[in-house]
Amino acid sequence: MSAPRLFEDRIAVLAMAALCFITLANVLIRYFTDESIAWTEEISGVLMFVMTLLAASSAFARERHIRIETIAEGGSDERRRRLARFAAIGVMVMFLILAVLGMRMAWDEFRYEESSPGIGLPKWWYSIWLPVLALVIAARAAVLVRRHAPQR
Amino acid sequence: MIAIALFAVFIVLMLAGVPIGVSLGLGALIAIAAANLDVQFFGLLAAPQNFYASLTKYPLLALPMFVLVGSIFDRSGVAERMVRFAIALVGRGSGMLPLVAILVAMVLGGISGSGPANAAAVGGVMIAAMARAGYPPAFSASVVGAAAATDILIPPSIAFIVYSVLVPGASVPALFAAGMIPGVLAGLALMVAAVWLSRARGLGKTEANEPRPPFWASLREASWGLAAPVLILGGMRAGWFTPTEAAVVAVFYGLFVGMVIHRSIGWRDLYGIFQEAAELSAVILMVVALASIFAYSVNTLGIVDPLTKAVVASGMGEYGVLAALILILIVVGMFLDGVSIFLIFIPLVLPIVQAFKWDPVWFGVVMTLLVAVGQFTPPMAVNLMVSCRIAHVRMEETVPWVLWLVVAMLLATIAVIAWPELALWLPRSLGY
Repeated sequence: MSAPRLFEDRIAVLAMAALCFITLANVLIRYFTDESIAWTEEISGVLMFVMTLLAASSAFARERHIRIETIAEGGSDERRRRLARFAAIGVMVMFLILAVLGMRMAWDEFRYEESSPGIGLPKWWYSIWLPVLALVIAARAAVLVRRHAPQR
Repeated sequence: MIAIALFAVFIVLMLAGVPIGVSLGLGALIAIAAANLDVQFFGLLAAPQNFYASLTKYPLLALPMFVLVGSIFDRSGVAERMVRFAIALVGRGSGMLPLVAILVAMVLGGISGSGPANAAAVGGVMIAAMARAGYPPAFSASVVGAAAATDILIPPSIAFIVYSVLVPGASVPALFAAGMIPGVLAGLALMVAAVWLSRARGLGKTEANEPRPPFWASLREASWGLAAPVLILGGMRAGWFTPTEAAVVAVFYGLFVGMVIHRSIGWRDLYGIFQEAAELSAVILMVVALASIFAYSVNTLGIVDPLTKAVVASGMGEYGVLAALILILIVVGMFLDGVSIFLIFIPLVLPIVQAFKWDPVWFGVVMTLLVAVGQFTPPMAVNLMVSCRIAHVRMEETVPWVLWLVVAMLLATIAVIAWPELALWLPRSLGY
């Protein structure tokens, strides 16, 4: 596939592997002790969230997300470049908005000292990753916006 | 008014080539803000909440895990051994290799959950073999693309996992069981069409001259792969593990078979396999997460209620509405991928399903059948794209072949619509 250049890939791969081991451990422990570890569901959910945003970020950087290509890949080079730039701007705007709103959400959870339902950890420990990783995606999109800029 | 703006923004962005998830998200953000101009943050705080909640849902973890299973089994060397065994089973002759391709795709469908991964695994082995036996590459690509579409019906299936997350009252085990008979039926329909096409057009005449592999030796070779669906489906049925856990067990089993038994995966390949699976799942899950904002806006803007009432009162009757829905889904399925279709349409269609008291499990199977047909109907056909790339043909060249297969699978779909018991009997008798 592609060269392992992006730091997002490395962390996403680690998260994926961790998800496998946690789930397998859960099966084995339940098999041997008839008890299931309830907190793994919460950790797995957050790991899946982090993995998705990281791997999505590298997929945005490589422009591999699902989209309709019929119009965007047709026509002159100039039109293709403009539409690619437009798409990158769309991604950047979406995730900048999510970063701001996500920051606000995490801030509220911090202020009101909300704790997670499973383990009882502060909720903002999890949700803070939404604005952080949304900013990473917005930065990847910004690189694309520059790459597809009109050449002088 | 706001509702029209929501869909207009979404459709324009999507046609301009903005990723589908982002198109859905931006359309939803504008609609939510326009409806809440006097509220703090324009009511947009719901956006990160829905985004976050949809990606941390534990049952959804089955999706990336089954994607990973697909990536592993794609390289584990089980596909070629299954092919050899299937040839030993059915013999040689015109139309037999296409039959083998469909058979192997169906068994692999019992391991992996996504169509394109299946098309890559089966196509990687079958397309070259079919070319040697004299089948035209465009025909081979069509057969592999169509055969791989049975994957999302035969459990495990990523489409069913997404549907179950969206639809209350349709559990993953019930959907998995419900997809079994329709999936086999669709596979049989494709076999009949593929063999008939081969015989009628005189394809693969030289196939009869090729050697037939020895039965017992090839069965022994294929047994590691053949045991995988038994482990996954049997383990879920016996209550040993949940769907997510079944996927993880299959991950380790696949790695064991690939690294120790068949030795087709080395330590160095692991990073690539995990990275590919993480990226493929993220591409799907990103649409899931952003579509949750879209679903929130559709539900809070009050579009669905009037729409449902209008449809129910339209005088088309239950079957008229169903026929209209199916036509819409077939057309949309030609341009959009399956998961996106589910995420866009289910918030709109679910109230109609409830109004007519259709069984949500049955409706999920019908929708998945239509999505499966869309996976190999040009121009936007994810499976066919994979198999055409392997066969080095352009998608246009497959049209004279693939349309017959589309018709065959649509006939199977009509059967499931006409006799809902085809889908509902198995989950009921298993007690889901």
